[in-house]
Amino acid sequence: MSYWEAFILTLISLVIGGFIYGLERIVRARMQGRVGPPLLQPFYDFFKLMDKRSIIIHSFHAFMGVMYLIGTWFALFVLLSGGDLLIAIFFHVLSLAFLVVGGFSVRSPYSVIGAMRELLHMVAYEPLYVLSAAALYLVTGTFQVSGILHSNHTPLFYLPLLFVAVLLSLPAILKKSPFDTAEAHQEIIGGPEIEYSGKFYEAVYTAKWIEYIYAFFFIFLFAGGNHILGALLVIFSFFFFNLLDNVTARVNFRQMVAFHWYILIPLAVINLMLIALWRS
Amino acid sequence: MEKVVYALFLVPWILAAAVFALPGASLHRLRQVLTFASLPVLVWLTYLVWNSHLPITMNSPHWLKVLFVVYDYLLLLYFLYQGVKFKNFLVSVLALFQLFLLTWVLLIMPESSVPDFYVDRLTAFMFLIVSTVGTLICIYATKYMEQESLERENRFVAILLWFLGVMNLAVSVNNVEWFFALFETTTLASYVLIRFRWDEVSLKNALRALWMNQVGGIAILLGLLFGIKYYGFTHFTQFLTLAGKPGIVMIPLGFLAVSALVKGAQMPFHRWLLGAMVAPTPVSAILHSATMVKIAPYLILRLSPVIKGTLLAKLLIVTTGFVFVSAGLLALTQDNFKKILAYSTISLLGLMMLTASMGSSMAVLASLTLILFHAVVKALLFMEAGIMEKLFKAKYIEDIRRLIERAPITVTFVSIGFMSMTIVPYGIFVAKWMAIEEASNFLSHGAYVGSIIFMATGGVILALLYFKVIGIMTRKRGEFYRFNLEKLPFVYLVSTVPLVVFVIVGSIFIAALLQASVNPVVAAVVGSPAPISAKGLTLVTPVSELYGWQIIGAFVLLLIVPILAYFVHFTGTDRVYEYTCGENVKLNIGTYDFFCIQSVEPFVETTAVALFILTLILGGGLV
Repeated sequence: MSYWEAFILTLISLVIGGFIYGLERIVRARMQGRVGPPLLQPFYDFFKLMDKRSIIIHSFHAFMGVMYLIGTWFALFVLLSGGDLLIAIFFHVLSLAFLVVGGFSVRSPYSVIGAMRELLHMVAYEPLYVLSAAALYLVTGTFQVSGILHSNHTPLFYLPLLFVAVLLSLPAILKKSPFDTAEAHQEIIGGPEIEYSGKFYEAVYTAKWIEYIYAFFFIFLFAGGNHILGALLVIFSFFFFNLLDNVTARVNFRQMVAFHWYILIPLAVINLMLIALWRS
Repeated sequence: MEKVVYALFLVPWILAAAVFALPGASLHRLRQVLTFASLPVLVWLTYLVWNSHLPITMNSPHWLKVLFVVYDYLLLLYFLYQGVKFKNFLVSVLALFQLFLLTWVLLIMPESSVPDFYVDRLTAFMFLIVSTVGTLICIYATKYMEQESLERENRFVAILLWFLGVMNLAVSVNNVEWFFALFETTTLASYVLIRFRWDEVSLKNALRALWMNQVGGIAILLGLLFGIKYYGFTHFTQFLTLAGKPGIVMIPLGFLAVSALVKGAQMPFHRWLLGAMVAPTPVSAILHSATMVKIAPYLILRLSPVIKGTLLAKLLIVTTGFVFVSAGLLALTQDNFKKILAYSTISLLGLMMLTASMGSSMAVLASLTLILFHAVVKALLFMEAGIMEKLFKAKYIEDIRRLIERAPITVTFVSIGFMSMTIVPYGIFVAKWMAIEEASNFLSHGAYVGSIIFMATGGVILALLYFKVIGIMTRKRGEFYRFNLEKLPFVYLVSTVPLVVFVIVGSIFIAALLQASVNPVVAAVVGSPAPISAKGLTLVTPVSELYGWQIIGAFVLLLIVPILAYFVHFTGTDRVYEYTCGENVKLNIGTYDFFCIQSVEPFVETTAVALFILTLILGGGLV
C-alpha cells in the first residue's frame, strides 16, 4: 500500500467504522430478536451530537478527548501505511494514553476508575499483540505490514492457536462483553467517556469506530497475501465477537487479566514454539 | 593518553578533597564553583579519551599492585569493624569470609604481564555517562544540601565526587582482583551514603546494603578463584579469549554474572536499593541512575561475548526478564514516589541485563541504548523527586495530587521522564523494540520466547504504573486560565534541563545517535557493529524501519500537545462540575494501590530465589 492509499483509507476509515458500528448494532439486535436501529444510526447520532451545546469540565479534559481521536487516527495510519507492525501496536498504546490521561484529569470517580481499567485492558491484551507480531514475523519473515500483506504464506495455517487467542481477546481491545470492564455501562457508566458531552463526546465516540478498523485490520493480517481469506476472517470474527458480546456476562478485571495471561498467552506461546521448533 | 585516563580518576578525587577541605556555611559558593567545574573538566577529558585510539592498555607499576592489596585488606577490615560495631552478624561474617577468600586468591594468583588497565570504547561510554549525568547530580546535590544542612554539605558532595572517580576507575580496570576492590569500594560508597542521615532507619538500610553487596564481592572472589584454578586467568581480557570456544568451564563466569545480579539489585537482592531511598535524594539519583548499579550491566556486557548462547546466558535472560516483570508489578503497590522509581530501576536493570546477555550485536545495541537513556531519565526523575520533596513537600503519591496546578514545569518534566521510559518514540522504547525484534529471530529457544513475553508484559506494566502517576499529577479541579510557572532555583534548572533536552533531542535523532555514538561501542563489545543505518531521522534495522515521520508524529502528539493543552481554552462552551451520573459523591479521589498484588509477593520472591540459584548452579555449571 502506498502512502497515498493509506492516507485515503485512513481518512475514510471514519465512514467505514461508522458503517461497521451501525451494522454491529443491527446484527446484535437481530441476535436478540429485535429489529434494531437503521444502518445509518451512528451517523445520525454523530450529527445530533455535533449540534449539542458544548458542556465541559475543563479544557484540558475536553482537549484530551479530541487528542484521543487524532491519536487513534494517527495510529491507524501508522498501521495502514505498511510500516513496522510492532511500532503500530505501540502507537496504539500512545493513543490510549490520551484517553487515560483525560479520564484521570477530572475528579469524577467513574472516569478515574474507567481510566485505570483502560490501562488494565492494555496490560491484558498488549503482550498478546506483541507475540502476534513476533509470530507473524516468524511465518512471513518480515515485520513490515506491507510485507505481510504480500507474503506467500498464510499465517493462519501456521498460527491457528494464536489466531484463536487474538480472536478471543478482540472483545478486550474493542471493550465488548465479556471484557468491557473499562466501559461497563451498568457499573461505571462508560468509564472515561462519562464526563464528555456534545462535540467532545463525539470525538471519543468516533475514535472507537477507528479502533474497529484497527482491530479488524489486525485480523486481516492473519491471512497474509490471501486477501479473500482475510476478508472472510474479518467477517467471521465480526459475527463471532458480536455473538460473544451477546451471550456473555462481564467479568471483573482480575478475571480478564488472568484469562489473557494464563490462557491466551500460553496458547500463543505453545503455537509459537511448536512452529519455531518445527522450522529450526 | 594514559595521563588523561589517570586524570579521569584523579580529578574527581582532587575536587572531592578540595570540597571536603572547605567546610562551613560561608564557603558554600566556593564549593559550588568547584563542583560546577567538575562537569566541563570531566566532559573534556572524556572527549579526549573517546576520540583517542581505543582500546588503551596500560601497565601499572608494582607499587600500585601492592597498594591495591593493602587497600583491599583495609577495606574488608573496615567492613568487619562496622559489622562488629553495629553488632551485625551478616556483615561481619561476610567480611571475614571475604578476607579468607582474598588471602587465598592472593596466595595462588599467578604473576601475569597482562596490562591492568584496559580502556576500550565500552569504558569510554561509561566515562561519558559518569562525567555528564554523575556531575550534574553532584551539582544538584550542592543546592539540595543547602536546603537540608549546610554544615554537612561539604562531606556529602565530597563523597559524591569521590565516588565518580571510583566509578571511572572501576570500569577501566582489567585485573579482576582490582575490580573486586573497586566493586567493594562502591559498596562502601553506598554504605556511607545511605547512612548519611545517621538515624535508625538509615543505619539499618545501610547495613543491609553492606551485607547484600558483600555477597556480590564473594561471588567475584569465587569467580576469580575458579578462573585461576581452571585457566590461570586473572584479567577480563583473558576471559574474553574464551569467546566461541566449545566446552568451556562456566564456573568463573557464573559467579561473575551472579555478582552482577547482586549489584544490579535483581531479586532477591533488591532490598538494598529500595533502602537507599532513606538517604538524601541525590544519593538515590547517583546510586540508581548514572553510576553504581550500572556496574551490573557493564559487567554482563564485558562478559557477553563469552557467555553468549550458553545456558548461563539463557538462564540470565529468564532471571532478569522475570525481575523486569515482577519488579514492575511490585512497583504498582507502592505509594512512595521514590520507591516507585526504585522499583522501576530494578525492573529496567533487568531489561538491560537481559539484552546484554543475548549478546548479539543488535541486543547489545539495545542494552547500551537502555543504559544511556535510563541513566539520563532516572537521574532526571530522582532530581525531580527531590525538588518535589523540598519545594512542594510531596513525598507520597497522595501528596502529588493536582500538582499540575502548582508546579507545571516539574509536572511536565516528570511526565516526559515517565513517558520516555515506555512510550514510542523515546530512546528506551526504541531499545525495547530492537530487542523484541532481535529475540524474534530465536523463537525456537524457550528463553527467547520468554524474553519477548517478559519484555511485552513488563513494558505494559510499567506503562500502567507511569500513567497512574501521571494521571494523579494532572488531575485538576477545573479550568485555569492563568497559570504561574513555579520558581525553581537556578541550580535545579541547570541540572535538570540538560537531561530533558537530551532525552528529547536524543530521541528525535535516535538514528544518528545510535549510528554515530553507540554503534562503535557495540563494535568494541561484540566485535562487529550492529547492522543498522540512519537515513535522515529514519532508523533502519535489519528487519524493519522506524520512520522519521513516525518519530516526529509521536513527538508532536506526545510532547507539544500536552504542553499546548495548557493554552487551549475552548470558548463558547459551558463549564460544569463533574456529572458522575448525577450521584452525589465526594469528589475526592484516592489512588489505586493494587493490594491484590501483594498477595503474590511471596511467590515472586520464591521464584526469584529459585531462578537465582538455577542461574548459579546450572548456568555456572556447578552440576
